[in-house]
Amino acid sequence: MDRLQYLLLMAGCVLITLPLELGFGVRVWRSPRRLALALLPAFVLFVVWDLWATRTGTWDFSRDYTIGLRLPGGMAVEELVFFTVIPVCGLLTLESVRRVLGRGVSS
Amino acid sequence: MPIYPTLAVAAAIAVVLLEVVALHTDLFRDRAYWMSMAICYAFMIPVDGWLTKHSAPIVLYRPQDTSGISPIWDIPLEEYAYAFALLTAVMLMWDHVGRRTPTRAPVEQVAP
Repeated sequence: MDRLQYLLLMAGCVLITLPLELGFGVRVWRSPRRLALALLPAFVLFVVWDLWATRTGTWDFSRDYTIGLRLPGGMAVEELVFFTVIPVCGLLTLESVRRVLGRGVSS
Repeated sequence: MPIYPTLAVAAAIAVVLLEVVALHTDLFRDRAYWMSMAICYAFMIPVDGWLTKHSAPIVLYRPQDTSGISPIWDIPLEEYAYAFALLTAVMLMWDHVGRRTPTRAPVEQVAP
């Protein structure tokens, strides 16, 4: 169970922001093409950075709290989830604040 | 300066330049953006705090590669620049893509 910690933390981030999409009416998950295009550049650059930083030893990932799947250089596969989930949380926040302020852009 | 804070600050500056030089989305003039970033930083504390806590870290940093400054819990100071770069880059692209392919017809085209 401990080895799922990183993934469970990411799952918690998805769950806590999901009501913004389901109950609040913003459309981020439901705009898959726009979402993919928005995520892709940062995803690629931050993953390259992450692969390099892990390989060169700037950071590393606990064997106790990750599932153990590693990319080249030792980067935890959970990082790929991080670079998807955290930006989506940010976009859901942005669109929700816009909605509260009365000018939903994408809904 | 150690490598991680150097790259984190460089990434943050690069993202600002991306907007100012190329994208011109006006995101930085949007009050919703700054309010969203404040909210995201508030939620970053428990999430990143959990990832980096020295008592049971999920992510471990080589001390000489970080600033060594952790104003809140064990989160390295440069992590806030890193978060700014990641979140802002995605928000900029979101607005950029949304402007080019609107999900709803502009108002002036709906009016008779």
